[in-house]
Amino acid sequence: MQELETYFNELVRQYSEPLYWHVRTMVGSHEDADDLLQDIFVKVWSALPRFRGDSDVFTWLWRIATNETLSHLRKARVRAALRFAHIDTEAEKVSDPDPYFDGNAALRSLRKAIAALPDKQRLVFSLRYYQELNYEQISEITGTSVGALKASYHIAFEKIKQFLTDND
Amino acid sequence: MSNKIPYSTPSGYFDNLQSRLSTIPARRSRINPVPYLALAVSFTLLVLIGNYILTKSTASQPASDEAIIEYLIDSGTTLAQLEEVVYNY
Repeated sequence: MQELETYFNELVRQYSEPLYWHVRTMVGSHEDADDLLQDIFVKVWSALPRFRGDSDVFTWLWRIATNETLSHLRKARVRAALRFAHIDTEAEKVSDPDPYFDGNAALRSLRKAIAALPDKQRLVFSLRYYQELNYEQISEITGTSVGALKASYHIAFEKIKQFLTDND
Repeated sequence: MSNKIPYSTPSGYFDNLQSRLSTIPARRSRINPVPYLALAVSFTLLVLIGNYILTKSTASQPASDEAIIEYLIDSGTTLAQLEEVVYNY
């Protein structure tokens, strides 16, 4: 138990910050990313005794974080749809003043374009563009083939380009 | 991490985050060590009482909108499935 706890704390020390940025680029708001990170590390702690090292720890953590984040986004959409609220919650948040956004007008537009993407395209785009992972790494995290990921990234890229042109 | 990310965090956030996350094992282990027998007895009682209450209450009261929403969310219903139901209604 003590060994597990030490290992867990080591994971927190090494990966909490990069995992935060992974989640943040997906959900946009700092508050949502913070809440999700708590849930993710609770899952990590629960699953740690079963982690056998079949995949490397980076892939394992990113897979948990990705699944948790996609589930959070899906629930938010369903909740919004059932309450007849705005479905596009991420895009809505982007237009609000965000005290933790550092970019200029161009980066704000890019952020809006990314927020308007479907979840899985946003995920692929974020892992590739912001985190600079290669397709093989993304494939291991998402369980999607490299070919499908390349297609997804290309479509996301074209949509962003179109969004920026239309909103220029 | 790439420096292209145009976001920031409150100052000192990551130091505080590590401290908060490090308390997870202690918090979880306080919850976990419930004796298995007590858990089984509690579960059985819960099922029996729950069944009694459910039989009593659902016979006369329809589920609230909020309860239906939470059920749909927790059951893994996707937006596509909802749309399909709405369009085929």
